Amino acid sequence: MRQISAAFIKTIKELLREKAALFWTIAWPIIWVVIGSFSFTGSAPQEVIPYIKGSIAISMMVFALMIAGMSNLPASIAGDRANGLLSKLISMPIKPYKDFIGRISAVIVLSFLAAALVIVIGMAVGARFTGTWIEILQAIGFILLVICASAGVGLMAGTLIKNLQGAIMTGVGIAVITSALSGLFAPYEVLPVPLQVFSRIYPISSAQASIVHLLAGPEMIAYDPLTSGQIALTIALSLVLLFVGTVLYSRLGWKVD
Amino acid sequence: MFAVHVESLVKTYGSRRVLDGVNLDVPEGQFYALMGPNGSGKTTLSSIIAAVKTQDSGIVEVYGKKPAQAREFIGYVPQENFSSPKLSGRENLMYFASLLGYSDNQANQLVTDMLKRVGLSEEADKRVGKYSGGMRKRLEVATAIFPGIRVLILDEPTTGLDPAARRSFFGMTQEIMDKNTSIILITHIGSDAELASRVGLIDNGRIIAEGTPDELKRKYAVEDVITVETAANNDEVLSILKDFSIEGRVSESETGYKVFSRNGDRVLADVVRSLDQAGHKVMRIEMARPTLEDVFFRLTDRSLQEATR
Repeated sequence: MRQISAAFIKTIKELLREKAALFWTIAWPIIWVVIGSFSFTGSAPQEVIPYIKGSIAISMMVFALMIAGMSNLPASIAGDRANGLLSKLISMPIKPYKDFIGRISAVIVLSFLAAALVIVIGMAVGARFTGTWIEILQAIGFILLVICASAGVGLMAGTLIKNLQGAIMTGVGIAVITSALSGLFAPYEVLPVPLQVFSRIYPISSAQASIVHLLAGPEMIAYDPLTSGQIALTIALSLVLLFVGTVLYSRLGWKVD
Repeated sequence: MFAVHVESLVKTYGSRRVLDGVNLDVPEGQFYALMGPNGSGKTTLSSIIAAVKTQDSGIVEVYGKKPAQAREFIGYVPQENFSSPKLSGRENLMYFASLLGYSDNQANQLVTDMLKRVGLSEEADKRVGKYSGGMRKRLEVATAIFPGIRVLILDEPTTGLDPAARRSFFGMTQEIMDKNTSIILITHIGSDAELASRVGLIDNGRIIAEGTPDELKRKYAVEDVITVETAANNDEVLSILKDFSIEGRVSESETGYKVFSRNGDRVLADVVRSLDQAGHKVMRIEMARPTLEDVFFRLTDRSLQEATR
């Protein structure tokens, strides 16, 4: 437990003291929540606008979670490898999985902090949400799936890309490109058909659609993401990404040869 | 039982044999320096002893155990600056103390004491990113001297430090170490290796000579070393100097050309005269006892700088 808490405390302190990490994870999504809430509501009826703002806040919250997992996590891994900390840790009587749990816990905490701030700012600029307690709990479940999928991609990037800047930029690149392609920044109905298919397969956009459906209303999403088949696919692919990332990290992440 | 025992150690990367049958014994409490150029295999050897890498064949034991089973005895300081620049010196040490399982109270006391021992009490709460190179290295040594550590491995700890910081670093290291702790220093700097009680010279994955610094110098470098600095370095200067050096061996170093002679006193004046007659201005000339770098040159016909290139 001491080793897990040591890795957790170190990682969370480093993340909270890294201006670039805070900007991309917290400030950037908040900026877009504010801009989006005043620019992208179009000619929608007045009574719908708070829920459009709600769906924008949810999308940017998901983007914040993606950046935390896909960029901050690999930056932490690649940085420690580049500066020799990994060699130092290997020489010590430490279990790699404990370091892994500590690191990923720190990313989850930062993710929830970022998510909470984005939602609070969203509400401050007029976003409103619906949903019963059960639906809120279901939405939290989908948030956890976004974190799992993003962390899985982040673990792969941090393990396979040895260079610190390379790992960060790969993470940011995957987050931005897949967000754009999967309709995180645009309504599902304006996407071309192949991207609509991608949007439903990609677990992060599917989870985002589910959260919007649950908390901003079904009319905000042009398809039903809560069918049992769609939910099963989202859960399965999120866990597959996390599993592959974890296996790669545990097999190769701590290998110096 | 030796603190570290290495026998017939082989390590290859692809087709390249980085370690080629290395044998090495370090008794308890000995300060052992492994000196060689970049690419000689010394860092690979140290990381195998530190349980960071594994060998292809051969035996490596730390107090009779395989390195992976002796991690609690090993304090390893890699070449890179591995401390986190985002954390303070105290936070960095608290991190390592927690990793080793100390409770918050124990860790606090231990860390305060260690910061004092490495002379960083005043700077303890400053972020490491604001530390000088020497301070950072002292902090990193502190991560490797927790109670129970019996073998301290320092990989090129003084790279990038000026001579004063290097002296201060080694003074501190020897002062803080328990007399039963063995130190293995990996270095390419002769003056650092001179501080050790025993030195192994490594080249192309083999230990080519071993002994105390004095033994090595007596055995392999009996000549005087004349260092000559001229206004311009060129082939003609080199050719003139070769005439005065044993077997025509002239080594090029940061401080000028090095000429080896059994009769330094007499040759000194002749060197100046010959260079002067050929129109080369001598900026500085001095004679000194040989260094471990000269021993390396004598054994390999390459200076450490040339070998690194």
